[in-house]
Amino acid sequence: MSRAILEVTDLRKHYSQRRGLLPMLGGQGRVIPAVDGVSFYLRENETVGLVGESGCGKTTIGRTVLRLTDPSSGRIVFGGRDITRLSRAELRPLRREMQMIFQDLDAGLNPKMVVRDILREALTVHERPSDAEIEARMRELREQVNLKDSKLANFPSELSGGEKRRVGIARVLAVRPRLIVADEPTSALDVSIQAQVVNLLRDLQKHLGLTYLFISHDLPVVELVSRKVAVMYLGRIVEMGLAENIAHQPRHPYTVILWSSLADRQSAAGAGLYGRGSAAAGRERRTWGVFDFEQPTSGCRFAPRCPLYRDKGSPAVCTDPASEPQLRDVGNGHAVACHFA
Amino acid sequence: MQAPLLAIDGLRTYFYARAKRAFIRSVDGVSLSVARGETLGVVGESGSGKSVAALSAAGLVSAGPGVISGRIDLHTNGVQRNLLDGLEEYARVTEHDGRVMAVEKDERGWRRHSERLMAGVRGKEIAMIFQNPRSALNPYATIGSQLVETIRLHTGLKGGAEAKERALHWLERVRIDSPGLRFDNFPFGMSGGMCQRVMIAMALCAEPALLIADEPTTGLDATIQARIVELLAQLKTETGITTILISHDISVIQRLSDRVSIMYGGTVVETGRCSEVLVPEAKLRHPYTAALLASTPSAEAIRSKSYLQAIEGEVLDTINVPPGCRFYGRCNRVTDAIRDQCAGHEPPLGEVAPGHQVRCWLYPAAREGRA
Repeated sequence: MSRAILEVTDLRKHYSQRRGLLPMLGGQGRVIPAVDGVSFYLRENETVGLVGESGCGKTTIGRTVLRLTDPSSGRIVFGGRDITRLSRAELRPLRREMQMIFQDLDAGLNPKMVVRDILREALTVHERPSDAEIEARMRELREQVNLKDSKLANFPSELSGGEKRRVGIARVLAVRPRLIVADEPTSALDVSIQAQVVNLLRDLQKHLGLTYLFISHDLPVVELVSRKVAVMYLGRIVEMGLAENIAHQPRHPYTVILWSSLADRQSAAGAGLYGRGSAAAGRERRTWGVFDFEQPTSGCRFAPRCPLYRDKGSPAVCTDPASEPQLRDVGNGHAVACHFA
Repeated sequence: MQAPLLAIDGLRTYFYARAKRAFIRSVDGVSLSVARGETLGVVGESGSGKSVAALSAAGLVSAGPGVISGRIDLHTNGVQRNLLDGLEEYARVTEHDGRVMAVEKDERGWRRHSERLMAGVRGKEIAMIFQNPRSALNPYATIGSQLVETIRLHTGLKGGAEAKERALHWLERVRIDSPGLRFDNFPFGMSGGMCQRVMIAMALCAEPALLIADEPTTGLDATIQARIVELLAQLKTETGITTILISHDISVIQRLSDRVSIMYGGTVVETGRCSEVLVPEAKLRHPYTAALLASTPSAEAIRSKSYLQAIEGEVLDTINVPPGCRFYGRCNRVTDAIRDQCAGHEPPLGEVAPGHQVRCWLYPAAREGRA
């Protein structure tokens, strides 16, 4: 087993929100726990998928582990070094080892620069290579991401979605990172282009030994690319394990619902693309209540929507503020945060 | 056979790209038809023209030159009318070698005439739901008042109390919890899924003949998407409403549609029954459809961690549409026997099986020119 490249322990990121005039004057705000006590690790050259609905804190985790935003508390160890409290200057040499692919295709592509200059900037930001080296590296990058030579003279606005994504990836690869946080790398792309990019990312991992934190709500793609998957709900990881176990033998009721909502749609056309949706999953989905991110919860934060909670007759332990369920190991590298799963 | 409820024939909707001084051929000769009580799925990538085709049918294209030719026949209450009837006199299209060189359009005249044709159709006979429900609702009015307004406008119920009763009835039918309380809510106080339910209620409350649902689940969370799809399926069985469902999500189309039309680069490349077109083992179909299905990870692909079958190349540039088949540059099924035809001539939609048409030179139907 290769060693861990990134270790995150009890990470928290709380945003304070001020609404209305009085709290603004008083300086008192509501605290939104976007990420609320999350621990996980990534081994070198493997992919961990992070799934969950929008607003559950996936992207915040991605940004925080790269120190693009500062954590409220917790510990981030990258390559054996605690980076939680490093200053900007101390972080700078580490930046080249950890990079992010953003969901927005245009993020990171200066609209006033042609592709050649965008890549040149990325190549020279951490070192001073000679012109010949730059040319050689640029050719290498182009080949790695399969970008046509003629596109180097184009502005980002003249590129198609797939090409923009390729340039974005080339720009990230320019600094030779070890860890890449890919935040919804395919969601802004056309369906027929998505598969190209997924294949490209997997190829690059194989050839360059990259490690990915793969954030997405596209469950089949996550299952395909990841060795392990972490499922998030309202700022916490509720289940984590090998991708195939999460998809086929989920333990947490939320994971069950998440995957069944997909299987249910896809198994509909008889043969379908998926053979999953079971009758039990269908039943659970029907009992699925209306949800509200803002409702206050005590104990398990999934309890208000949880079919298991209802089936068990609302056990007190689920809403006991003193006993929020913690991730516990259920064997085979699988962990689940539920009192009953 | 009964006449279809809506039949679009040879519709062309172009826009003008000022920077490039060229036409964007968004919808370029599209023919679609939907029979009474049927759900027609329209699948395509962004830019394939599926939304613009639907907007054209509802008379909602505002940028110029917009719709330039075609027929849109609507058959309701025993009356057949062409929603583009007489509009051709307001547009003069200059063509050269089958390419549109210039369009002169009397925008004001066109719009005035079009509004006359669409009055009593849009909202009443044809209702639409859109991708982003929050932007389609008025943020300054409660959802109740918006529903009541729609009902009073389009149905015989003119009294306030009656209309309110009907509005509550529809909120219940789209399964909104405690409709009485929600009636006075503003859109911002509701989740995206609930706003979409309100939109659906608003579209259906006038009891239209045709519902056009343009990406009704896109932009919603996975679990909410599944619930909206389920709601649409239930409403379909309850009301039997004719629907054109537009989506890039094949799984949604599979779940809800009877027939499907696949669009690529502004044209329909395949039309047929869902159960014949969107199944992995289908033999007769357009290479684009096959590639589209193969590019979403299948259960086997995930298990064996194999690579996805990607469609090479980029999405078609609808400004510089190449001669020949629009999918030619990305197609992996071109053979030497048909290569010249693929590159030089656009294939017609040919019938490969009863009710199943494919626009591809691979099939003899296209070569024989049978439509």
